[in-house]
Amino acid sequence: MPTAASSARRSVADVGHLLRFRASGRRRPAVLALTIVAAVTLVVAVAPALAPGAGDGGEGTAQDLRAVLPAALAGFVLLAVLSAGASGGGRELIARDATAVFPVSPTTDHLGALLLAPLNIAWILQAWALLGMTSYAVGAGGLVPAQVLVVLWLVAGTAFAQAIGWALESVRRTTHGPLVVRALAVAAAATALVVQASGHAGDVLDSLPTHGVVVVLADGVTARWALSVLVALVAVVALVAVGAWPAHVAARRSPREEHLVESGQYRARALPASALGAMVRVDRASVWRAVPIRRGLAVLALGPAMIALLGGLQWDSMTILPGLVASGGALLYGVNAWCLDGRGTLWRESLPVDPATVFDARAYVLAELLLAASLVTVCVGGLRAGVPDAADAAALASTLVVVLVQVVAAAMRWSQRRPFAVDLRSARATPAPPAAMIGYSSRLALTTTTTGLLFSTAALLGPWFVSPLLAVPMLVWSGLRLRRTRRAWLDPDRRVTVTMTVAAA
Amino acid sequence: MPPPATPLVDVRGLHVRFGEVEAVAGVDLEAHAGQATALLGRNGAGKSTTMRVLAGVVPPTSGTVTVSGHDVRAHALRVKQAVGYCPDVGGLVPRASPWEHLQLSARLRRLDGWEDRGRDLLERFGLGDVAHRVTAGFSHGMGRRLSVLLAALHEPDVLLLDEPFDGVDPLGVEATLDVVNDARVRGACVLVSTHLRELAVEACTSVSVLRGGAQVATLPASEMLGEDGARAYRSLLG
Repeated sequence: MPTAASSARRSVADVGHLLRFRASGRRRPAVLALTIVAAVTLVVAVAPALAPGAGDGGEGTAQDLRAVLPAALAGFVLLAVLSAGASGGGRELIARDATAVFPVSPTTDHLGALLLAPLNIAWILQAWALLGMTSYAVGAGGLVPAQVLVVLWLVAGTAFAQAIGWALESVRRTTHGPLVVRALAVAAAATALVVQASGHAGDVLDSLPTHGVVVVLADGVTARWALSVLVALVAVVALVAVGAWPAHVAARRSPREEHLVESGQYRARALPASALGAMVRVDRASVWRAVPIRRGLAVLALGPAMIALLGGLQWDSMTILPGLVASGGALLYGVNAWCLDGRGTLWRESLPVDPATVFDARAYVLAELLLAASLVTVCVGGLRAGVPDAADAAALASTLVVVLVQVVAAAMRWSQRRPFAVDLRSARATPAPPAAMIGYSSRLALTTTTTGLLFSTAALLGPWFVSPLLAVPMLVWSGLRLRRTRRAWLDPDRRVTVTMTVAAA
Repeated sequence: MPPPATPLVDVRGLHVRFGEVEAVAGVDLEAHAGQATALLGRNGAGKSTTMRVLAGVVPPTSGTVTVSGHDVRAHALRVKQAVGYCPDVGGLVPRASPWEHLQLSARLRRLDGWEDRGRDLLERFGLGDVAHRVTAGFSHGMGRRLSVLLAALHEPDVLLLDEPFDGVDPLGVEATLDVVNDARVRGACVLVSTHLRELAVEACTSVSVLRGGAQVATLPASEMLGEDGARAYRSLLG
């Protein structure tokens, strides 16, 4: 008779087996990406402590960082919860269909998702920010004990988020679950807005329990530090164990949202007027009927918008948002855009249509999706920012268009160069393996953030027409890259690699 | 004696390589209008790859392949216009409904007044009730039936059915056999790739056996019938 302890041991061992199974087909770039991430993490955690002014007790940047650290620690947990909740309990170590034939327990699934949670650019960037801020705030003297606590916070926060993610997923799988979860999200957002509008945001931030954590980590090795480490370790173990329970509950219930999509009736519409229109219609259906894309897009469009709204972001800083949303949108499926057709790729490829039309439809639907999400973010985020002046409006419009073309060009290029057989049926599915996703997201984040900052600077320094003038060469460059990818798509020998790979989903 | 008719499918020395793997290693094949040919062979014999080449989906590495008079490499679009293809795996866009599949095919093939035939085929293949549901929720057999239906919708000159009977119930098999017969009667050329010898014999007039990526024999379907046919088939598989 298996006991809870023996089941847990078995689940941990199974995670190892699944990891080895996954790693067996891994290519070198994945190992390289992970090595780079580890190296950068080490640099970020240590280098700021060696900089001038690090750990200064008086007025200065170190003191400022110590003041914002409590909010940053809490923000990390909040975003981890959002991520785990949106992805239906976290990412899959092995795709759902593949695991169906193996005796993989929900505990194994939970541990796998926990292990994959850090392989996400949002998680990594936040972790780097926290490690870097702590490093500078405490200086070289108290660096090791402080970073030990921060690392434990990251692990405990991720385990907590994972447990909440599973709990939300288990609710979502009940009769009115999707509605309940949406209502919870709206209520949380409304509460935040009310708190902000009533001028109590500062009070809330001041009362965060993370203030105590920052005091302990700044004091070096003390009895309280040792106790905090012990408590954090116990919390990690407890949260990991507790998270397995809602994972089991969720596993016993069927994924309602996915089933609703697959069993729903879709009204017949009139025949599209053109071949391009017909391709666009099927591509749109493939996008909007995919639960992970739909859910991810809602979080992406409204999440940054809410933060902008709550933080009272002004138009001159708003140029950072389109890049963030477009990059995130591309990561929902765009970086492996041909996977939308799944096993239908062979049939679609046999249809008598110019491959250029197929490419144009796929790029158009991706661009349309990214533009819609970016516009929602900017419009909602700018509700409290008043009317933008000409320079800010021109900078924002230029950023929108430039990052859109940049992201579409990059996504279509990667989709062609490195296709993956992926089935986006599960809410937890991603269009590429985690290591590849990190590579894509870091490159997208770098490009689009730089672009946003460039236009932000242009708005500050020059008259309104500087931004459109700056945009022209950038658009030409990205447009040329997109055209080159389109031309390559017309080559049947190159296209067949994508077709054969994607059809294996 | 009348000169032999020009074959609708003419394959000479077909080779297909994927990197280090030679999926097809020298296939010659002729198939004529009004004829149904079965491609038989073990897994990995090159049947599906040959079908994909004929459908204009996979370009040949070497050799000449003409379908309905068009070279597949030079005129892939014309080949696709002439062909109706049921792929061996899936073959369906997961989040589109059967009706949306039919609409896409009809629009790209410039079909007029196809709706009644589309509805009739959906009913014949037992898919009338699920015409507006996405195919991701379909069983394997339902997917196969829809793939055959999509290949047959536009009454193509060349009908390519890759594993059309795989996992299909008896009514679906019957409907598929009807589609093959209808195509033959109206003068289309039909190629059926399958592992099921008995059904291949029932559906087709001739049989080509592939082994290790190459063709080893072409013979009348009647020679593959019954126990004698089974023995002959086993010996050809090596």
